[in-house]
Amino acid sequence: MSLIKTIHKWLSLLVGLQLLIWLGTGLYFNLMDPVEASGNEYRVRVVEPNANLSQLIEPKKVLQDFNPAVTLSQISLLSKPYYLLTHDKALYPYFKNQYTLVDALKGQQVFINEAMAKQLAIASYNGTGKIVSAIKQSPPFDDRLKEKNPLWRVDFDDDINTSVYVDAGSGRLAAHSNDDKRFVDIAFMLHFMDYTQEGSFNNVQIIVFAIFTLFFALSGFIWTIELGFNGQYSLSHLLPKRFIKSKAKIVQVLDLNGEPLHNISLSDHENLLDGLIHHDIALPSSCGGGGTCGRCRLKLTPSTSTSVKITAADHQQFTPEELALGYRLACQHNSDEIDSLRLLDVIQAEKHQLVLTSSEFISPFIKELKFKTASGEPIAFKAGAFMRFFIPAASGNTMPTALPLALSQHWENVDQTQYQHDSCSRNYSLANSDLPLDGNHSELHFTIKLHQAPKTTTDDIINPGVGSHFICNLQPGDSIDAVGPFEEFYAKPLSDKSMVMIGAGSGMAPLKSLIEEQLFKFETTRPIHFFFGARSEADLIYQDHFTSLAAKHDNFFYHPVLSRPTGELASRLASSDALQLIPSTMTQGYVQDRLAAEFGGITDNAAGLTNIEFYLCGPAAMMTSTIEQLNAYGVANDAIAFDSFV
Amino acid sequence: MNLLKISRKYHRYLMLFLGIQFVIWTVSGAYMVIFDIDYIHGDSLIQNHQSKINPDKIHYPLTSLAQDSLIQDYPNAQHLTLGMFIDREVYRFKQDDIQFMVDANTGQQLSPLDEAAATAMAKHEYTGRGQVLTAELITDNPPFELSSRYLPAWRVNFDDFGSPSLYISAQTGLLVTKRHEFWRTFDLMFSLHVMDYEDEDPSNWLLFWVVLFALIAAILGLVLTYYRIFKKEPLQVDTSLIKESN
Repeated sequence: MSLIKTIHKWLSLLVGLQLLIWLGTGLYFNLMDPVEASGNEYRVRVVEPNANLSQLIEPKKVLQDFNPAVTLSQISLLSKPYYLLTHDKALYPYFKNQYTLVDALKGQQVFINEAMAKQLAIASYNGTGKIVSAIKQSPPFDDRLKEKNPLWRVDFDDDINTSVYVDAGSGRLAAHSNDDKRFVDIAFMLHFMDYTQEGSFNNVQIIVFAIFTLFFALSGFIWTIELGFNGQYSLSHLLPKRFIKSKAKIVQVLDLNGEPLHNISLSDHENLLDGLIHHDIALPSSCGGGGTCGRCRLKLTPSTSTSVKITAADHQQFTPEELALGYRLACQHNSDEIDSLRLLDVIQAEKHQLVLTSSEFISPFIKELKFKTASGEPIAFKAGAFMRFFIPAASGNTMPTALPLALSQHWENVDQTQYQHDSCSRNYSLANSDLPLDGNHSELHFTIKLHQAPKTTTDDIINPGVGSHFICNLQPGDSIDAVGPFEEFYAKPLSDKSMVMIGAGSGMAPLKSLIEEQLFKFETTRPIHFFFGARSEADLIYQDHFTSLAAKHDNFFYHPVLSRPTGELASRLASSDALQLIPSTMTQGYVQDRLAAEFGGITDNAAGLTNIEFYLCGPAAMMTSTIEQLNAYGVANDAIAFDSFV
Repeated sequence: MNLLKISRKYHRYLMLFLGIQFVIWTVSGAYMVIFDIDYIHGDSLIQNHQSKINPDKIHYPLTSLAQDSLIQDYPNAQHLTLGMFIDREVYRFKQDDIQFMVDANTGQQLSPLDEAAATAMAKHEYTGRGQVLTAELITDNPPFELSSRYLPAWRVNFDDFGSPSLYISAQTGLLVTKRHEFWRTFDLMFSLHVMDYEDEDPSNWLLFWVVLFALIAAILGLVLTYYRIFKKEPLQVDTSLIKESN
């Protein structure tokens, strides 16, 4: 089915415009006046009087006098009798024929000259125009693409520029044409794709397009049937709500953990993605409900999951195991099918307008952004929560604005280009706690990494992270819409257990939030160990902040690790033991190494593994290997909380 | 609802009703463009002999005082032609709205043709190798493929690929038209293409409404194409601090 959709999408690009031309010209042919279209607006039927055969020369003699002929026809032109000898007779008059015209009274050959062509033209014409020119032309003719014989073209100066064509060999009235007919001819040329003016619809380009369009229509047809079988067509969907007495349908919404959130009322047969939005539950979606982006995921409760059908789009986006567990795309299903559903990440989706209060670089590629709510109402959240920002469609630049001079060296190899991006939504973790500090009312802090476009070997230009670039380029005072907070990663209920936090790179934010919540909001005395891995000194964000926290709080231990230190620190580390076990001092290596070195001491102090909670946030590779490491030490999985960013 | 959603919704619903006609248009259109029109017209079925008239064989004159002549035997003859019927020189003319064919050598009236003569003429013109299957004289109620002005005419059917038929005028002995299945199918395709199932006339209201809605549906479809291909979300997304919803 996905092949059908792909075929349909790309063929639409290929044949779409020609299809519009076909339909447009088709509509024109349907509506056009048949008389105008024929070119015969000023044409009259020419009735020649019958010849008196007894006065004519014997046909036998004419045949003997001239070249051998296939037929001899007695015809009348301008009331005079002639014999028309056809030497080469084609299937149709407009195909190539060879004639001799003979005066049937005198037996002499006659040629259609200009005077005769004009008279023949006038005899067939009832308009008011006068002849402006008469020219004998050889094929091809713009007005008569199929004609293969030489013709006299007699032009009249009437309102529609009539041209009368007379066969120069036989005197046959070949055609009338005029501006109306010429317009119709252009429409036919477009409809037949006859751009080389062959006068035929059997040209190569239309054959190729016809075959592509055939597959285009068939793929669309199959798609339509598939939509029909999936119940995507319903009267209530098509007609405006006011025309339908819609029955409300109550659907129970469960949160991530299966806890009932609330019951929402959806209309009969309402699409779940659309219906949830009306209740401020905004599932992510970049395709707008087409079933192609696979982001509007939800999980059905076990009681209903088996009975709800699986659409082709569901098959595309989920593994059979996931489908069996009840995973489905919200856009593919409607309120009739279910009684309850479980959200996979949205717990509450309250919309807020946030105003930027400050935006500072804290490393070459990471900025700290501080927001407050436009309403002034504080937002309460559990540390570790994230907000979903709505990034509007805008134009962006690969280089951030207001880049401090000191950092510009890090951006030297970025090509400065402009790009356009569509609207989208992006999730960013909060980096502080919701405790008001220093008289500031409940700020929301974020540490956001400006993602550069990957370097590619091809010429394709790939945009940088459009969300991070947009939000990092906001100016203080600018506002942006966001929903949340979404609380998926948070501290376990307050206890005396030790906390071990392991983070790397920009995965710092939610851990920083947890640490501040514990130290400032709860003012705990439980031991908190923070292992933080970065590449080099420049990436070691909040170094001073954590160093001073470690100095101030006896229960907080800061363990920064650099994988590739540079400058002074590198030389200092090189001269001494690479793994110095002094708290709050940088070491070289990976967080896993530092964890291994410290682990024994931490467990001893906590009096056993069961008294330690682990919180992880960082790149997937680091988290996987750290979890393996902890498991090897005997740490149970339920003691490890982790926040993934992909 | 945004333009993308509106376009998708109405494109889908319009195509629910119009989809079958789009398939018909494309199937019939492809048929008509793929088969060469001259082949469709049966031009390849016909020899189109170029046998020349031999004047020496004409012994039945138009006018003569000394012997029987055409004017004498047929005083109201009009639209005279002289040509060949297989290997004979013949006069063809009209008198009192009746077509005649007369042997130009002997003056013998050859029309109307009997079955043997019509079959001989059909075989003479036919390029194929199939045998004559049937010959049938049509005097009234002609089939769709034969204009009534050619009546009476012999329909000579050949046992060949495409079931070719040649129509021989019983009065003039001329081949008036020819048909094979490909042309008959073409006629069917054309009537399906213009949605006029009787007269093959493109100016009908059914076609008008269907094309009008088809045009709207196609424009909405192009909007979808634009969104799906040109305004697609950039491949590159922020990877840090983004919690993808599973």
